[in-house]
Amino acid sequence: MEFRPRNYTTDNASHALPRVRADAHPLSAPPPPLAQLNVAVDSGNADFFDPLRGGADNDAKATPLHHRNLSEAAGDQPMKEWTSFRRLLMQKFPVSKMVSLSSMPDVLMRSGKSHEKSSTSMHLEELDDPQKFADEGAKVITWQEYVSRLHELKDEITRSWLAEDRVTSLKLSIQVAKLMVDTSVFEFYPTLFVLVTDIMDMLGDLVWKRIKRKAEFTEDGALVCNLAENFKASDICADAKETCYNWFSKIGAVQDLLPRIYLELAILPCWRFLLDQPIDSLQRLVMMTRGLGNPVASAYCRLYMAHCAQKLPSHDIGYLVTCVNDLRVILTQTSAANESTRGNFKNNKKFQISLMEPTIEYIMKCIFCGLSQRRINEVLLELGLMENRQNFGTVSCASIVLHHLLKELPIEVVISNVLHILHLIEFNKDSSYDQHLNYRLLGFRLYERKCPVDIVNAVLDKVMQVIAPYESLYAYLNVVDAYADLILQNHMDNHLDIILGGVSERASNGGVTEDEMPGLQSLMVKLLSHFECLEDVFCLDHFPEILDVMHGKSQDVVFLHILNMATRSSHIRDLTSIQLLFEISQTLHDNMEFMSVKDDDGQVARSVSRFVHTVDYGTEMEHHLAFLVDCRAAFGRFNELKETLVHSSNSLAIQSLKCAKKDLSFFKSCVTFSEVTIPSITGQRQFDLFLETAEVAFLGGLVSHLDGLIDSAIGCLCTVDKIDGFRTPADVEGLVSSIRKLCGFLVMVPGNINLPVTYFPNNLFTLISSQSWFDPKMRTQIFSAILLLLTTLSQKTLPYHANTEIPGNDMLYYGDSSYKQELVSLSKVVLENLICVVQQEPSKTARGSMALEACNCVASSFTLSNEVSSICLTLIETAKSCLSAQDRCLQSTIRLVNKQLPTFAGTMVSTSV
Amino acid sequence: MSVHLKLSRFNRIYRPSELLEGKIILKTQSSISHYGIRLTIKGSVNLQVRGGSAGVVESFYGVIKPIPIVKRTVEVKSSGKIGSGTTEIPFSLNLKQDENLERFYETFHGADISIQYLLTVDISRGYLHKSLSATTEFIIESDKGDLLQRPISPEMVIFYITQDTQRHPLLPELKSGGFRVSGKICTQCSLSSPINGELTVEASAIPIQSIDIQLYRVESILHGEKIVTETSLILTTQIADGDVCRNLTLPIYVILPRLLTCPTIFAGPFSIEFKVAIVISFQSELSKLHKKSDSRTPRLWLATETLPLELVRAM
Repeated sequence: MEFRPRNYTTDNASHALPRVRADAHPLSAPPPPLAQLNVAVDSGNADFFDPLRGGADNDAKATPLHHRNLSEAAGDQPMKEWTSFRRLLMQKFPVSKMVSLSSMPDVLMRSGKSHEKSSTSMHLEELDDPQKFADEGAKVITWQEYVSRLHELKDEITRSWLAEDRVTSLKLSIQVAKLMVDTSVFEFYPTLFVLVTDIMDMLGDLVWKRIKRKAEFTEDGALVCNLAENFKASDICADAKETCYNWFSKIGAVQDLLPRIYLELAILPCWRFLLDQPIDSLQRLVMMTRGLGNPVASAYCRLYMAHCAQKLPSHDIGYLVTCVNDLRVILTQTSAANESTRGNFKNNKKFQISLMEPTIEYIMKCIFCGLSQRRINEVLLELGLMENRQNFGTVSCASIVLHHLLKELPIEVVISNVLHILHLIEFNKDSSYDQHLNYRLLGFRLYERKCPVDIVNAVLDKVMQVIAPYESLYAYLNVVDAYADLILQNHMDNHLDIILGGVSERASNGGVTEDEMPGLQSLMVKLLSHFECLEDVFCLDHFPEILDVMHGKSQDVVFLHILNMATRSSHIRDLTSIQLLFEISQTLHDNMEFMSVKDDDGQVARSVSRFVHTVDYGTEMEHHLAFLVDCRAAFGRFNELKETLVHSSNSLAIQSLKCAKKDLSFFKSCVTFSEVTIPSITGQRQFDLFLETAEVAFLGGLVSHLDGLIDSAIGCLCTVDKIDGFRTPADVEGLVSSIRKLCGFLVMVPGNINLPVTYFPNNLFTLISSQSWFDPKMRTQIFSAILLLLTTLSQKTLPYHANTEIPGNDMLYYGDSSYKQELVSLSKVVLENLICVVQQEPSKTARGSMALEACNCVASSFTLSNEVSSICLTLIETAKSCLSAQDRCLQSTIRLVNKQLPTFAGTMVSTSV
Repeated sequence: MSVHLKLSRFNRIYRPSELLEGKIILKTQSSISHYGIRLTIKGSVNLQVRGGSAGVVESFYGVIKPIPIVKRTVEVKSSGKIGSGTTEIPFSLNLKQDENLERFYETFHGADISIQYLLTVDISRGYLHKSLSATTEFIIESDKGDLLQRPISPEMVIFYITQDTQRHPLLPELKSGGFRVSGKICTQCSLSSPINGELTVEASAIPIQSIDIQLYRVESILHGEKIVTETSLILTTQIADGDVCRNLTLPIYVILPRLLTCPTIFAGPFSIEFKVAIVISFQSELSKLHKKSDSRTPRLWLATETLPLELVRAM
């Protein structure tokens, strides 16, 4: 066998594709919009509203107003909102395992189906008998049991309805509604409400459909008329009206107030069959609800009212305003009673108010949904909030009501009445809601839209004055966090100084608790995102002190922000900054270790790596290398970072080569640093890094290092498998291409006099052969690469050289026949293995293409001989048996073989037909 | 083989001047012969006297001879044959006739007095076969012509309930601490509209447990020389549950139940009147010891105001 002499220059010329000039650069396609976007983001333009900001402060997030379409088609919208509201309500008050009731209602007793029937057929009067006076003490039931019983009841109601036993349905529904009387179930009450109202809605729906059917069809089922969406009471026939009236009479006869209201609300839309103005009934129901002495029960009853009233075609919100006014009175009276009572009771009240909060929220939402400016003013008047503009002291409004009002008011109204609102907040300091949260909300609301500077000034002056005496850091932070954006936006540096001073003072007095950390975090992040560069932030008074008091997760978040901000620039040259960032990174790193915080997405590691990458000591390369050494010591946990370290030190080495005065010992240090760092990196990246470092060492002429590095690279291939638990196809491909790159690199590497000529190729070959995890495909590719390498090394002139200082093997072994001999003998072994490996591949198509690859490699490597011909023939046969004759690669390989081995052509032609 | 009556109106309400219309529905497997199909209208005031306010318990108990209002029999079909399957025989009867015995009082189902109108169909089939019959009640409401001519007075009676208006002993802390509930309520009320009014708790030393509106009927019967009067509860409607906010007006709204109420009547042999009571229960440990008994018994924790209620039939 003999290597084919190659002329790389002519080969290149004949195989290179012709170059054609492109009209436009593919990456410069549409620049204008991209540039605009960048400007908007980078300049921190105040108009740019980040919708994701403030995700942590739920209570402050103002819900955008839904501009509800009032047409009939959009009727589903409020119902959808209701569904999601119910879900939120249940989530807000997670239920503990057991529900304790003040008494066990009969309806919850699961006492056999037959008994159930008889109990339901009892008279209403009998059921009304309040057993609760007899049983004292709380009863306990698991909530699952309670809920499943309610589901059963729902089914029973449907069943009796379908069985034409509507009286039973009604009676059961009354029993279900009665469950709402017992508010001693505490956190279960909202869930109970959702379940009960679900049943009520179902009943209301059934009644509505029944009466509608009566109005539209005769008893025999003949269609009388189709009721229009906006039908009038006069369109309804007497029979249907009679049935409807009967329902109202039956429900009117329910003795207890609460179930009576719930049931009438359930069938509220049915008033339309009797009256053209059902709103009057609503007004009465609002008044009736006042009769519910329990604040929680009455609040939820109003909530259900707000829901049911949406089923009426058009409804004025007057009744809701009355609801809110009533709730205000209730809250004022409860909180007045509150002050005179003891601690335990007080907690209870607090919980009571938290239970009531969602109802206030929902009702407020209903009031301000799509309201005109004129009507808003009227509503505010009706709520009694616009009177006495001169004498604010007389306006009383429970602070929790005020909070939700402020949340729902359109921003224009907030801005135009901001001073008035401030006075309301100031005056309404009661136990129903923390006053500072209202100040906080106002701050967030004002930031929603750019408002006039004079207003912002006035508000901030007032707010600063109010919060100055605050002792609690928590409250102080809550407020200043909300106004931070306004302050930054309007460049009110004096206020910024004051709030930072305030925070720092309170933090140093009483320390910072876990509760206060998120507030602090939010404030710090706002500051960081406002300023362009890190130096400006650190120049702020008190900023470093505040940073110092932070700890835990929040500290990590802020540190990460700082790190990301710093690495936004392309270089970090300032020594102090580097030192600070290094310490920050170290804290982040150590926290991950000690607090076992998981850096799931590798964000911290990535940011620290970017920081290390961005650091630039300029000409102080020694320092830079020292810095890298420090980093290696400090950030042992970040695998990714070590890679960056190797890259950095390699680039440092290259940089030193470019320097005017070459410092070879520094260059060596860099290479050595890389060399010793790589082994601590896990995974197949090792190979690449070794290769990279070897290239660098080669460039610097460190031939002795070079051999070691290549040895290490090849050596680490045996560990790759053990370390990587699994390997993706991309990884495999990457590794193969890295090995091919090594082969390409070996062309330039001069032989060592102490080592055999084929030392590296042979090592590589031996290793690949011995590692069983290299599959046939990989082997084919790698063996082909080795063959081509050997072929190349045998040429009189190598296709490329490193530089003139390092001679290539073509010079070193010029005319040395033993050199060539060794190459040939190795190539024989490799070739044998290659042919073997191709046949091992189980997949047919893969085997085909592998055979073609091997064949291409053989045909271009060796000169014509019987041996080579027969090998090629076998490979082509293999490929033919595996691939279709139309395969383009097969055809071009045959053409190549015909050209390279002309005597062989005769046999080929005969076989290819 | 069955027969039943189906009236033309779903709610079975007729006025005396109107025609009572409907169908006799006869279902039979084989054809049958009969000696005539007759319809009978019968209306009467049924009275009974129990002990109660008359004092003597057992001796008085007894049913007094009913006062007939109307009794008339009409033959809708003379004797003949009816084929198998479902046969519907429509009818139309005059309720009012000149020789009426009494005026048509409105239907009323009370405790001691009941005013009832029945329609019966009889199909006599000779001695060999059992005759078929079915009865249904229909409801009489006053004629438009007989309605109250003057409009219902929109005026309401204003009431105050305080510890001083109560004639029975109250809880000491209630007596000393005091309470004041005020309001207004209509005392003349159309049967077709609810009892309206409002009520405000102005002050109360003890938390309120409940406020209820109770509707009573007062039935009086002339029995021999004596008038026997019985008062009984028809309906309780809670308007306040728990300790309600002070100075918030609560509505009084009670739908009058059908059949259990009728226009107030003062007839010779009997009278039917109504009363409405506002009952305030205060929270008290004592109330838990007593099971709910007669709501009219004065209790330490109850305060009551009873007002007469005139019910009228109006448009």
